[in-house]
Order: sequence, then C-alpha cells, then structure tokens
Amino acid sequence: MKKKNWTNMFFVLPLLVINITFFVVPFVKSLYMSLYDWPLLGEKTFIGIQNFIRAFVDKKFLHSLLFTMEYALIVTPMLFLVAFVMAILVNQKFRGVGIFRTIYFMPVVISMTASADIWLWIYNELYGVLNHILLAVGIVDKPVAWMHLPKTSLPAVCAMVTWKMAGFSMLMLLGAFQSVDEEVYQSASIDGASKIQQFFRITLPLIRPTIGLSMVISIIGSVLAFEQFKIMTAGGPSSKTQTAVYYIYQTSFGHFKFGYGAAMSMILLVILAVLSYFQFAVMKDKTE
Amino acid sequence: MNKERSKVIIIVLNILLGMLWIMPIYWAVVTSVKTQKELYGGISLIPHVVTPENYVSLFQYKDGIFFFYLKNSFQICVLTMLLVTVVSVLAGFAFSKLKIWGVKIWTAMILFTIMVPAQALMVPLYNTLSDLNLLGTVWGMVLIYVTFQTPFCVLMMKSSFDMVPNALREAALMDGASSLEIFWNIYCPLALPGAITVIVYAAYNTWNDYTIGLTFGGSSMKTFNVGLVDMLSADTTVNWGTLTSGAIVGMLPILILFLLLQKHFVKGMMSGAVK
Repeated sequence: MKKKNWTNMFFVLPLLVINITFFVVPFVKSLYMSLYDWPLLGEKTFIGIQNFIRAFVDKKFLHSLLFTMEYALIVTPMLFLVAFVMAILVNQKFRGVGIFRTIYFMPVVISMTASADIWLWIYNELYGVLNHILLAVGIVDKPVAWMHLPKTSLPAVCAMVTWKMAGFSMLMLLGAFQSVDEEVYQSASIDGASKIQQFFRITLPLIRPTIGLSMVISIIGSVLAFEQFKIMTAGGPSSKTQTAVYYIYQTSFGHFKFGYGAAMSMILLVILAVLSYFQFAVMKDKTE
Repeated sequence: MNKERSKVIIIVLNILLGMLWIMPIYWAVVTSVKTQKELYGGISLIPHVVTPENYVSLFQYKDGIFFFYLKNSFQICVLTMLLVTVVSVLAGFAFSKLKIWGVKIWTAMILFTIMVPAQALMVPLYNTLSDLNLLGTVWGMVLIYVTFQTPFCVLMMKSSFDMVPNALREAALMDGASSLEIFWNIYCPLALPGAITVIVYAAYNTWNDYTIGLTFGGSSMKTFNVGLVDMLSADTTVNWGTLTSGAIVGMLPILILFLLLQKHFVKGMMSGAVK
C-alpha cells in the first residue's frame, strides 16, 4: 500500500529543518567549540584538548561535580521513600482516593520557579513559618538561617524537591503495583501467606524494575539540577552549593568562556550517557 | 473487623500526608492575600483581612512590567504549542503511514535528540541563535522549545496513528478521496486524543521553563518565571506578599489546565520521562 513518493517528504520536512538547525548543527558545533578558546567577542584560537585538561584540574568544576553527586545521593533516596509510602497509601480502594492522588501530584505540575519561591518564604529566617513552628515546639532556640550554610540549605532544597517531585515517582510505582495480577495474591493467600509476606515475597520482586527506573530517572534529573539552586541559594555561600550545570552556565554566560563551557558540557554529556545506559538496562529488565 | 481498622488507618494517614502536601500551596495563597502588617506579624492560617493589595503591587511593579512578562510567556507558549502540534502531527503521520526516504536516519536522529537535554547544549545554541539574529526574540525561544519537545511528540503521534487501521484508508481511497483528504478527514480526528496529550505536554514544558528563558530571552523576551526570579534577586528586601502573589499567578494557568485534562497531562508527563 505504501508508495515511495517525494511529496511524502513534505510531511517530515518541518521536523527535519528544525531538528537539523537547532539540534544536529549545534551538537557538532559544540564539539568544535570545545577545542577553541572562544570568547564572546574577539579572536577565537584553536587550543586542542586544553579545555578538557583544564576541566580536570579546575577545582571549582570538580567541586561542582562532587556537590551535584552529593545532592543526587541525598535527594534520590529521600524522594523514593516518600513516593513509595505515597504509592502504598493510594493503592487502596476507598472513596476519594483519587483526590489524594491529585493532591500528591499537584506540586509536579507547577513550575520549579513557583515552588522554589514558595519554599523560600517558608524557610525565611525571620518570618518563615518553619522557624515559627520549630521555635514554638522548642526544637531550636533561635531562628535558623536555612539558606546561609550548605549544611542546612542542601537538605532544605532536597526537601523542596521531594515535595515537588514525589508525586511523579508515586504514579510510576502505583502503576507497577497495579500491574501485579490479583490472582497471584489470591493463590498466595490460599497458601497461607500473610499480607506482609506477600508484600516482600511477591510485590517487591515484581516491581523491582520500576523501582530501578524511577531511581535512575531521579538521578538523571538531579545531575541536571540548576534552577532550584540558582533560585534558592544562588550557588552560595562562595559557590559551595553550585551544581555542575550551574557552573557551566556561569562560565559560559557570566564570564563568556564559550569554549570552556562547551568542553565541560561534553563531559556532562558523557556522564549522562553512562546514566542513560543504566536506564536502558533497567528498562530492558522491565520489559522482559 | 481488622480489615476495617487498617482501612481507617490508611485514610487517616492519607489525610495527614495530604494536608502536609497541600500546605505549601495553601500557605502561598493565604500569604498573597494578607495585608503587609499581618504577613510579617506571626503566623495566621486564616487571614484576618483579605486584600488584593499584593496582586496590585505585583502588576504595578516597575510600571507594570509583569504584564509584559505575562504577555511574553503567553505568546511563546501558544506559538510553541501550535508549532509542536503541527510538526509532530505531520511527522508522526508520515512515520506511521507513509513511505519516506531515510526513515531510519530520521528515527535515529530524533531518538538521539531525546537523550540529549537542552542544558548540555546551551553554548552552541546561544551561538546558533546569535548567528541567526534570533537571540532575545519570540521565534528564537519558540524554536528551541520546539526542537527539544518535538522528538517525543512525534513518537507519541506516530503511536496514535499506528492505532488507526489501514483498512480505513483503503476504503476511502476506493471512494476516490485524495491523500490530503484522507489525512485531514479520517486520520486527524482519530488521532485527536494523542494530539491533546502533545499540546498539554508542550504547554507544561514551555510555561514552566526557566533555564531556556533565562539564557536565550535576554532582557527583551523575559518570561514570567524569569521576571519573578529577577524580582527575588534584585531587591535587597524581598516583598514576600508580591512574590507569593507572583508565584500564584504563574502556577494558575497550568494548574487549571491540569485539573481540566488530568489524564492527558499524566500520560504526556509519564511517557515523556520514561520515553
């Protein structure tokens, strides 16, 4: 039935033109730019792999990578645990369960900008509701300046992101819970397995791929973290809470070192490629 | 009896967690309608006086610059939604039902685009936009959003068209319909649910974006989100009433869209992330 016809190309032409102009060309350009000393204005000079060598000895870049990793390692389990509890709580049959699913998902829908603004107000040193409560209960004896030190700002940002993103992982896990065949539980019950045994022996092993997938997605998201720190801590104090994307952004568009920025982006892409490989591995696991 | 009790526990836990989850948004809403005096004088869960003054001051800020930001955001968002839909419906149809030259290369290309996030290509994109004189323009931003949203949307549309049986097309051809008529009258209506998911996906990703707006919008095309963060970081003393009212204005359109089209929203987002 299908006939090769040049007019058919018109259907894909818009996609191809846009994709080649704004993806393929920039991607190739990015490799090229990374080999240059490329300021905003003035002479561009070819310097080979010097940008890459520089990245590996740039303490600030290495610190930003370490900080990004630290963030990913804290936020991923935190988010997962909350999402897991949520998924169990809404994987029940009672009237109005849909309302709770919607409530848990609502923060996912709003922008990171709005969430960060709201939470900054909650964390406000003098007028924030969190300090009010902590003081009233007596957990702290003077207001905490949450955003002033990485020791407090990192967990505070993680809490905000957990609030914002848990609903997303919740829905993934809920889907997995519901895909387990009801009959498996029935026959387990007949064999005398308790609800708790069923959960650990049947449910958990069956949804393991989804657990892996939701974690990998969360790690990839954390590696690209930028907005939450740009808005909430501005990378401070003294760049201590600067993520990799943030540092690349600042190098490229604050100091206009395009060549170096492009080289660091390439390094980030390699890290992401490794993580994507894991994603495919768990997804393959899932479909088998 | 035991079963009833565990059900009650589950519901109570849901209510507690649900209250905790809705609290930040509720808190932003009440903050935004409080008077300045009440805002900074302790915590009250229900405002004594409800006032629109924070919203008024948001739109009076710097001679009404937030109207300008809102206009930019709406303009960019609507154009992106339109373009993403048109491009992905056309390409999705072609990938699903037509024989096209180089289909393997194009598929590989869009799969590769899906894997590379825009954040990793900021520098060359800036350079490309600057070469094309598109920095700080509506179309510059729209085209970047479209580039990074269409690959997923094309796959989405392809699978919607895949579900339409070929027999329909053959029957129409026998009746003497042209291929354009077939596309428009038969396939498009049937692929509508997929297209709605695509539209919602584009709206969500464009309206909520901050990074692309910040990098490529410059000062002439600041979006609402960028303007909001500007206000937060520019002033030494932040007016939290104004800021929370800004956050509410910014989240309202997308929340309404979500409540109206929940299923499409969730579908777009979930498959968008898993890919």
